[in-house]
Amino acid sequence: MKSWLSEHIDLLVVFIVLGLLTMGIISIYSATYDTGSQVLFQRQLTYAGIGFLLMVAILVMPYRTLQLMSYPLYAVSMIMLILILIAGKVVAGSKSWFGIGGFGLQPSELAKVTTIMALAAYLSQRGVNLHHAKDVVVTFAIALLPVALILGQPDMGTAIIYVAALFFIMYWAGASNFLLLTFIAPGAAAIASLFGTTAFVIVIALTFVFFIMLRKNRLMGAITFSLTVLAGVSTTFIFSKLLPHQQKRILTFLNPDGDPLGAGYNVAQSKIAIGSGGLFGKGFLQGTQTQLNFLPAQWTDFIYCVPSEEFGFIGAFLILILLTGLLLRGVHTASTVKSRYAAVVAIGVVSVLAVHTIINIGMAMGIMPVIGVPLPFLSYGGSNLISNMIMAGLLLHMYANRKEY
Amino acid sequence: MMENAEPASRRGFFVFVIGLMFTVFIVRLLQLQFLYQDVYGKKSEENSIRPIARDPIRGYMLDRHGVLIVDNRPSYTVTLTPSEFRAANTHYLAALMHLDTTFIMERIAKGKLYNRFSAIKLKRDISFQEVSAIEENRLKLPGVDYQIESKRFYPTNAKAAHLFGYVKEVSDQLVAEKPEEYRPGDVTGATGLEAKFESDLRGKKGYEFITVNARGEMLGSYNDGKSDIPPKEGNDLYLALDGGLQACAESLMANKRGAVVAIDPDDGGVLALVSKPDYDLTQFGSVTPVDVWNALNTDEAKPLFNRATLTRYPPGSTFKMVLAAAALQEGVIKSSWAINCTGVFHFGNRGFKDHIVHGSTNIIQSIQRSCNVYYYQLMLKTGLETWSRYSELFGFGSPTRIDIAEENPGLVPSEEYYNRVYGKGRWTQGYLVSLGIGQGELGVSPLQMACYAATLGNKGEYHTPHVVMKIRDKSSGQLVDVPVETRHIALSSQVWSLIREGMRRAVNVAEGTALTARVPGIEVAGKTGTAQNPHGKDHAWFIGFAPFDHPRIAICVLVENAGFGGVAAAPIASMCIEKYLYGKISRPTLSLPVATKDEQLAD
Repeated sequence: MKSWLSEHIDLLVVFIVLGLLTMGIISIYSATYDTGSQVLFQRQLTYAGIGFLLMVAILVMPYRTLQLMSYPLYAVSMIMLILILIAGKVVAGSKSWFGIGGFGLQPSELAKVTTIMALAAYLSQRGVNLHHAKDVVVTFAIALLPVALILGQPDMGTAIIYVAALFFIMYWAGASNFLLLTFIAPGAAAIASLFGTTAFVIVIALTFVFFIMLRKNRLMGAITFSLTVLAGVSTTFIFSKLLPHQQKRILTFLNPDGDPLGAGYNVAQSKIAIGSGGLFGKGFLQGTQTQLNFLPAQWTDFIYCVPSEEFGFIGAFLILILLTGLLLRGVHTASTVKSRYAAVVAIGVVSVLAVHTIINIGMAMGIMPVIGVPLPFLSYGGSNLISNMIMAGLLLHMYANRKEY
Repeated sequence: MMENAEPASRRGFFVFVIGLMFTVFIVRLLQLQFLYQDVYGKKSEENSIRPIARDPIRGYMLDRHGVLIVDNRPSYTVTLTPSEFRAANTHYLAALMHLDTTFIMERIAKGKLYNRFSAIKLKRDISFQEVSAIEENRLKLPGVDYQIESKRFYPTNAKAAHLFGYVKEVSDQLVAEKPEEYRPGDVTGATGLEAKFESDLRGKKGYEFITVNARGEMLGSYNDGKSDIPPKEGNDLYLALDGGLQACAESLMANKRGAVVAIDPDDGGVLALVSKPDYDLTQFGSVTPVDVWNALNTDEAKPLFNRATLTRYPPGSTFKMVLAAAALQEGVIKSSWAINCTGVFHFGNRGFKDHIVHGSTNIIQSIQRSCNVYYYQLMLKTGLETWSRYSELFGFGSPTRIDIAEENPGLVPSEEYYNRVYGKGRWTQGYLVSLGIGQGELGVSPLQMACYAATLGNKGEYHTPHVVMKIRDKSSGQLVDVPVETRHIALSSQVWSLIREGMRRAVNVAEGTALTARVPGIEVAGKTGTAQNPHGKDHAWFIGFAPFDHPRIAICVLVENAGFGGVAAAPIASMCIEKYLYGKISRPTLSLPVATKDEQLAD
C-alpha cells in the first residue's frame, strides 16, 4: 500500500505544501491578532481548503486532459484580463480585481497558471524550435500578451514575475545563449541607465563582450547591441520627461533607503523584525514588531517577518528549507517526466514560485528592491493561494503521470 | 507530441539558481539574526518611529471688504489612547466628561480597530472645568489627555448658517475612501461653503515623528524633529458677501419664514443670502448633541432647510417681465398694444379675476400696476412654447450652479410637461392663463429670482451666481480668482427699456404696486408678487435692483405666509438696498412713503 502511494503521489510535495500552509496560517493569525482583521485568518483557512481540493482534483485528472485544455484556458484567462481593464475594481491604485459578493478575484494570478500551460503546449508541439525566428515570436507573444494587459492595470510586480518566468522557461526549452542575452540585455541597460552613467557603461561593455564571445551572426549581434544602447538612452530620456512624483516612485523602487518614511520605512522595520528574532524568536504572539503593527498590512507582502521574529532563525530557516525543497523537487519532476509538455509545465511552476520567493524574501531581508509580490503559500490572499495550490497540483499530476509520453 | 529530452546541464542551471538563492538567504539570515541580533534587538526594543498626525488650521472666510467672518478659535478636545487606558476607569471618565459609558466603549473599540496606540478624540470643545478635571486626574486616568484644536467661530453678526454651513465628524466610509486625508475623529465640511470648498478649506495634515518603545511609550522626537512635516493651512475663501448687509437682512427677517438673496449685477457675486428660520452654527462643529439635532429635524418650521436655494414656489406677478420680454422680442405684440381691464377675464366658462379694475393698460402700466388681465391675454397670444423658452433663457427650470450645496432646479411647465402629467390632448389653453401671472405649476427659488432681477438690472448679462470670488492659496500665497461664467440674454434695447421702465414706475410713480420699496435719494426699480398658497396665507415676493441706471445690487425677498408682496417683502428689500448702498440705515422704522390703500399694493 505504502509503495503504491509513493509510486503515484509525490508525498514530499504534499508534506511541504501542508507545512508551508501551516506556517502561513499561523503567521497570518499572529499578524492580524488584536488588529480587528481576524476575519482574514478565517478567510485564509477557507482559501486553503478550497485550494487543497483543487490540488487533489488536478492530481487525479485524466492524463492529457490538461494538455488539451491549455489553449482554451489561456484564452479564457486573457479575456478575463481584458474585462478587468474595462470593469475591474481599483484596489491600492491598481485595477486587478473582480469583486464577487465581497470576495475579490484577481485574474492575473490565475493567468500565471494558464500562461505556463499554454507555453508548455506550444513548446511541446512537434517541429517547434526556439532556433526558428517564428517560433520565438509566438513564444514571446503567448507570454507577453498577459504582461501587456497586467501592465495596463498597472501591476508592475506581477508583470516582472511573468517576464522572469518566461526567461527560465525559454532557457529550459533550449533557447540559445544569444537569444537569452538579447532578451536580458535591453532590460538590464534600461535599469542600469537609471542608476547612472557608470552602471550603464558597464552593462553596455559587458553586452559587447558577451556578443563577441558568442560569435553569432554579426548583423544580429549588431542589431541587438544597438537595441540595448537605445533602450538605455531612451529610458533616461523618458525618465526626464516624467513628473517629479513619478520619478520619485521609480527612484524609491530602485533605492528604498532614499525614502526613510515611505518604502524605506517598511524595509527598515522588516529588517528589525527579522534581526531581533535571533535564534529562537520572541515566541508566538510575542513579537513586538508584529504585534505593534510597525509594518502596515504585514499579512500580505511582509509575511516572512512574522515567523522570523516570533520563531527566530528556526522559523525562518524552516520556511526557506521547505520552499527550496519544493523547488528542487519540481526541477526533479521536470527532468524525470517523459513528456515535454509535462516538463515545461513543471519548470514553469518552479520558475514562477522561485521568482516569487526570491523577490519576496529578498525584499523582506533588504537585499532586493521593494516589489509587491506575495510569498507562495504564506502570504494572505485568496487568488494567489489558490493559484499556488493549482501549481502544486500540476507538479503532483506530472509526477503521477511521469511515465506517460 | 515531443519527448522530454533536455540535457543535464539545463537541469544543473536550475539547481544552481535555487541553491544560490538558498545560500544567499541563509547567509543573510545568519547576518541579521546572529551577527546583528543585538543591534536589531535593541532597535526593536526602542522601536520606533511613530507618526502623530497634526491637524491643519482650517481656512478662513472673509467678506468683500476683507472682514473676517468665519474664524477659528482654540478649543480643547479630550483624547484617549486605547493601549494605555484601563477599562475599569470607563465609568469614572464618563462621569467626569459628562459622557455616556457605552459611547466611550464604542469609541475605544473603533479606535482599536485602527491603531490602539494612537489617541482617539472623545469629546470636542470641553469646558474649562472639564480640562481641570483631566489635569487633576492625570495619574488616576492613564491614557486620557486633552489637546488643543481649532473650532469655527463667527465673530460678526453675519451668522449665515445655510451659506457657511457646518463641519461634522467624518463617516467611516469617507475614512475608508480617503485614508490619506481623513482619520477617524477628523472633521469634514457637511453643508454650505464648508462642504463645497472642503478640499480648499481642509489644508493638509502634518506629521510629527516620535520614537516609542516596544510598549508604545513615547521616548522623544525622532531625528530632533527635522523629519517632521508641518501641517499645511487650509486656503482662505474671499467671499462676495457683504457682512453688514447679510447681518442686516438676517435681522430684518427675524421671526419670519422666507429668504433674502442679494446679488451684485456686475459679476453675479452673492452679497447676502438669508434663509429663515435658521439655526445656530456654533451648536455644530463635530458631534451635535442628539437633542439639538432632533429638535432641528422635527421643527415644523424646518430650520435646516435652505429656503434661498431649495424653495419651489410660484413667483406670482414678479414673473410678468418674462412674458412681457418674450411677447415683445418675438413680435407677438407691438409696444403700443393696450387692453381695457374690466377687472375680470373670461376664458372658456371660467372668469379669471384681477385685483382692481385697471382700465386702459399698456405694457409699461401693466408692470407698474401689475394688471393680471393684460397678462392673461398676453399669455394666450404668446403661447406656451415661447413662454417656456424665455423662462429658461432667464435661468428658470435649471439649477443656477451656485457654489454652495444643493439647490432645487424649479419647474418651468412646457407642452412636454403637460402631456406627461395630464396626457396628450387632456389639457387646455386654460391651463396657461394662470402661468401668465406666475401662478400654477411654475416653481422658482429665491436665488433664481435674484439672478433674474440682476439680469433685468444689467440688461441681459446672466452671471452664474457665486459666493466665493477668490481663494488664497496658502502654500503659494497667491490670490486666485474663481472664474465666473457669463451668458448674454439677447433682447433688443427697446424691450429692455420698456420692461425696466415698468419696474421703475412700480416703485416710483403713483399707482405703482411697489411704492414701499423706495429708498430716499436712490432710484429703485422692482416688482412685487404674491404666490397663491393652497395651504395657508399667500407668500410675498419682491424682486428689484438699484440704482436704476447703473445697478449695484439686485435683490429678491420672499416672506412666506405674509400676504401681499408690496406689504411684506418690498419694505425689507428697501432697507437692504439702503444698507448696501449707504452703508447704514437712516430710517428709524419702515414708513410707507405715500398714503396707499391695500388694494393698490395688491397685485
